[in-house]
Amino acid sequence: MNDWEILKRLDMVKAPPDFEQTVMARLSLRKREERRKRMILRWSMAGSFASLAAVFILLNIFVFEGRSPSGLAEKERDAASASSILPAAEERTIPIIETLDYRTEIRSRSSDPEAIFLLEQISDTTSGEIRY
Amino acid sequence: MDDQELIRQVQKGDEVAFGKIVSAYKDRIVNYLYQFTGDYQKAVELSQETFLRVYFKAGQYKPVAPLSSWIYAIASNLAKTEMKKSRKLAAVSLDDIAAHDLRQNVHVEDPADSGLIKNLREALDALHPRYRIPVVLKDIEGFSQEEIAQILKKPVGTIKARISRGRSFLKRRLERALAGGTYAARA
Repeated sequence: MNDWEILKRLDMVKAPPDFEQTVMARLSLRKREERRKRMILRWSMAGSFASLAAVFILLNIFVFEGRSPSGLAEKERDAASASSILPAAEERTIPIIETLDYRTEIRSRSSDPEAIFLLEQISDTTSGEIRY
Repeated sequence: MDDQELIRQVQKGDEVAFGKIVSAYKDRIVNYLYQFTGDYQKAVELSQETFLRVYFKAGQYKPVAPLSSWIYAIASNLAKTEMKKSRKLAAVSLDDIAAHDLRQNVHVEDPADSGLIKNLREALDALHPRYRIPVVLKDIEGFSQEEIAQILKKPVGTIKARISRGRSFLKRRLERALAGGTYAARA
């Protein structure tokens, strides 16, 4: 026999007679509390999601709408149409005509008797003006 | 209906099955927590909380260990937390002292051989909870060392050592008490 069996003879305490009723009462109370907590949690989660969604929608309307690519394209289109309606007179052209003296060109080459310069017009169009 | 079937029913929310578990384990758990805390009122309160946790955490129970081990593990964790809280308070209330004095009078089942039992009781009370709990689980509750290791979440070697040291302390204490009279052991 195990020597330590003697420990089993120690004073054994028992649960009080109303132990089970108390546990069941505490259980129903705790269940109600848990249900309430779950409800609060659910509503607070729903509330936070709803406010997040509201913030997102408001940001979309008031902040992101102005920066959207379609918005930018619209602005560009507006600017282009505004420039097209400017009067034609406002477009200014400054004609600059530079004259060429071919005699000096020939003179510089005159020391070379074998060189013959044929100067002829190679284009039918008149010389265009240089525009700035 | 066995324990496994009962806990399966509790997992489904069956309060009748839960009531059966409470009836089956209430005395053992109250006694165990009384050995743990040394305070009957606290033991009853912690036992009630233990059973409430059994109900609400039934879904976490895995049938790899006996249900009894799981319930004892919950009770041990609660008792440890309670003892830590009490230690933080760092004061002994008058209620605690009164509870300790009343200890001998609470639900005594076997008044026979009261001298030896009294000495044994005193020796066990004097033992540090670190050693007392494994000894109580082994020699009073009848768990194996492996089960105690599971309940207390300690390695089996540690449990073996603690049981051995606890027993040798009790033996020394009882020998001294028997040699020098009942109350000489306290001196």
